[in-house]
Amino acid sequence: MSILLILALGGLMHAARSFHGDGVGPMGSGTALAFGYVLLTAFFAGRIFKTVRLPKLTGYIAAGMIVGPSVLGLLNHHMVEQLKIVNGVAIALIALTAGNELDFREFRPLLRSIQWITLVAVVGTSVLLGIAVFALKGFLPFMADMQLTHALAVSMVLGVTMAAQSPAVVVALRDEMEADGPVSRTVLGVVVIADLVVILLFALVSSIAKSVFGAPGDALETVGRLAWEILGSLGAGAMMGVLLAIYLRKVAGGAALFVITVTFVMAEVGTRLHFDPLLVALAAGVLIRNLTHMGDKLHHEIEASSLPVYVVFFAVAGANIHLDVLALVGIPAAAFVLVRGFGLMAGTKIGARIADAPENVRRFAGMGLLPQAGLALALALLFAKTFPEFGDDAAALTLGVVALNEIIAPAIYRMALMRSGEAGKRVERQAPAPEGVEGEAVALPPA
Amino acid sequence: MLRLLSENRRAASALVALALLVAAAPSASLAQALHAAVPAAPDPGVPDSRAPLDPGPWAPAWAPVDDPEPWLPEWSAAVDPPQPAALRDLQATDETAQRLATPEAVDVAPVEPIPAAKRPPVLIKTILGLIALLALAYLGGHPRMRVLEQRLRISQVVTAGFPFIALGVVANLPSVGILTDTVLDELTPVLRLGLGWIGFAAGYRFDTRAFDDLPKDTAKAVGFATLMPFLTVLTAASLLLLLASDWTDATFRDPIFLRDALILGTAGAMTARSASRLVNGNANDGWQQRFKKIVQLEQLAGIAGLAFIAAYFRPQGPDLGWHLPGTAWIFLTVGLGATIGIVAYTILRRPATGAESVVLLLGTVAFAAGSASALFVSPIVVCFVAGVLLANFPGASKDRLGDALEKLERPIYLLFLVVVGAIWNFEDWRGWVLLVVFVGARLAGKWLGAHLTSRYTNFDTLAHERWVANRAPMGQLSIAIVVSAQLLFPHGSIPIVVTAVIGGAIVTEVLVQVFARKATPAEDVVLDFEAPEEPAPALPPEVA
Repeated sequence: MSILLILALGGLMHAARSFHGDGVGPMGSGTALAFGYVLLTAFFAGRIFKTVRLPKLTGYIAAGMIVGPSVLGLLNHHMVEQLKIVNGVAIALIALTAGNELDFREFRPLLRSIQWITLVAVVGTSVLLGIAVFALKGFLPFMADMQLTHALAVSMVLGVTMAAQSPAVVVALRDEMEADGPVSRTVLGVVVIADLVVILLFALVSSIAKSVFGAPGDALETVGRLAWEILGSLGAGAMMGVLLAIYLRKVAGGAALFVITVTFVMAEVGTRLHFDPLLVALAAGVLIRNLTHMGDKLHHEIEASSLPVYVVFFAVAGANIHLDVLALVGIPAAAFVLVRGFGLMAGTKIGARIADAPENVRRFAGMGLLPQAGLALALALLFAKTFPEFGDDAAALTLGVVALNEIIAPAIYRMALMRSGEAGKRVERQAPAPEGVEGEAVALPPA
Repeated sequence: MLRLLSENRRAASALVALALLVAAAPSASLAQALHAAVPAAPDPGVPDSRAPLDPGPWAPAWAPVDDPEPWLPEWSAAVDPPQPAALRDLQATDETAQRLATPEAVDVAPVEPIPAAKRPPVLIKTILGLIALLALAYLGGHPRMRVLEQRLRISQVVTAGFPFIALGVVANLPSVGILTDTVLDELTPVLRLGLGWIGFAAGYRFDTRAFDDLPKDTAKAVGFATLMPFLTVLTAASLLLLLASDWTDATFRDPIFLRDALILGTAGAMTARSASRLVNGNANDGWQQRFKKIVQLEQLAGIAGLAFIAAYFRPQGPDLGWHLPGTAWIFLTVGLGATIGIVAYTILRRPATGAESVVLLLGTVAFAAGSASALFVSPIVVCFVAGVLLANFPGASKDRLGDALEKLERPIYLLFLVVVGAIWNFEDWRGWVLLVVFVGARLAGKWLGAHLTSRYTNFDTLAHERWVANRAPMGQLSIAIVVSAQLLFPHGSIPIVVTAVIGGAIVTEVLVQVFARKATPAEDVVLDFEAPEEPAPALPPEVA
């Protein structure tokens, strides 16, 4: 039935779009149409994927990819661009969720594993990918004729870029599978910290690369920029967290609306202020979970409004996969996906062994580090902007790696959660009753 | 119920406060920051949508500066042939409106970063804005504040969502600049979705089985209730035209005049569902229930009127595809609604959790509204038809859907009002003149309708002048009808009609409160705008 509904919706979508020869209707109509269409189609695709024991999330991505500009073209480029308005809110919501899941009291026993896995798996994989890029430079047209030092510098940057993980996918899958336990917690901790580590590493290696290419650069300026981005994001996030906590405690009514407003501000204003919205929201979530009693309340407020946002977010991510680019860079991209996968899995095993982590963490946590999405794309685009001579080609390669990981990795992590026995183990938290006057009828004094 | 009301008040006051705070901020403000995804206006040569364009007091909005016509409502400008008049509509210069109908831009503007030196002040203002939001939300929910609101009888005006229109107006001011034209471009889908949602909700409440037990005079009562205000508004608009054109060159054959008058009349004929709460007795007694059904039938007439207007006054042009006669568009509109209704029925009857139901409902309404908009038919009508089908098809999923519908209705409607406020071009004073005429004519029509109903049917609508409370409040459908018209015919005189109807809704609400204040002591009549079946406090005996 889901397939029939998808076909019916596709037919209606095609009919509606045929009214305008160029596929562009009156202002806003295309976006509303695309929003509804993507939401329904991706939702049913998710159901189909679930029945074949694949993550719903992969279904959302696959649906976006198939109906998007690369395959059927039912969504054109403009519609996809317009739908990206959901992305900022989605990333902030996901990061808020992730931060709110990071209860230090629960994570303290896992801290040592998280540190070692981050160090060995994430940093190690960056190095390994850098070496792989350098070794395969003969197969990469944009690096074939590069000097040795230049090739080394570019390899370092690409290695770090391609190593990035995706907290968004990890959080969404954890929610979907209702998973809880050492594996899912360790993975969550690692991808959150890895996000910071990758940003720092990227800043470092891109500064080195710039100086190698003779571009003007100021080390102090770079440090200042980084400090602003990371410390500023964390500070702003802490303030947002305080505000959210006060609202949840003192006002409570309309909290979902307030949370969405705050995430919108985090995403939109944060980007313009050169903050990382993910870090801002993450810090807010961590603060609320660990320094207040409003964590569970926040969890409920987010849960209520997150599903439509997730569905559209991942479907748009799928629609953005450029299959034409993938066809061009497919073979080297596949090679790097394998290297990355090997690095993360082996690195996790080594790190977990050093930290004396439980057996399940050693076996399965590496699979949770494979998903990749937004951060790698953002870094690739930054790289393209910094090195315009060859950056676009390098970015295309990274896009290819991300595309493959987007399609494959969620299924692997789902399998890990199933096999580790953590799927379905989450205990539903109860929202505390709000304080204050909420819900009370106010009796007027007698006249 | 009080909880819902207080939430709305808090949210409303908080959002307005945020906008005001931003308005007060001098330079690189939160407003600037909230432009985020949007750079400055794409074309600096394009005039501000709020800038006065008319050379003379009543000259058409699109008229050149040296237009020889002294004061000319647009509908009196050109008479024949009808079709070119509709085409002429496309020449309008009201930029905001024009953008709503023109094809979407293909390029999406990149995010403009704020220069490093300006970041700390922007950050501080952002935080201050959120603190103000928080503080006002807290104050808005404080018992003393709520008591004060009830004493001043501003609860209903607040809960009706009008502060959200004010918020949109403030946010669109150039000095605030949050909802600039470019941002509005991005938010236009909210308008379409909001219209679709209103139509769908009205349709979903239209369970035909509930109308089986209505007394035989109901049709007459509905006829009087809708026809009288429709006719009086139509007559008043015609008189205004005659007065304005010195009784010489006026003509009623101009299709634009006809279209605008029909829109105005249709919007004026509607009554808010919440008016039933002012009817004496409690929510479960017969009269109040019958009253609700009559209002629903009025809505049906309004939907039919809108479908007629959208079909027979369609803009024409080579870019609009599918050139069909008006009647064909009526069939197409109903057919589209029915098709989507059947698909929606298949989608929504499947088992789903609460969150999944929200996804399915949101997706269905957005898809229906988007399809309707793409075909230049009214999203309200298409979604209404789909909603009616869903309500009347068998199935056990109605409660679940009703819950999801109710859960999302209020937030979507309030967001819709913010965007409506932002696109409201209220600076044209002709709209305010029309507002006075519209409100007066509408009240006269409602009064006449109540008298005729009382005389020729078994419905007692006149006792203790209850007709004001029963009939005067204007519902969300009135606003939705004119907004839908603005999206379908975004040029010329429609902004004037919008001012008359939105302003009229606010003025009428205030009038109803004034009347209620005189008629009742301080024990309050707290209304929930368009809220579904909640027990309402009874009016005191002296009103009953």
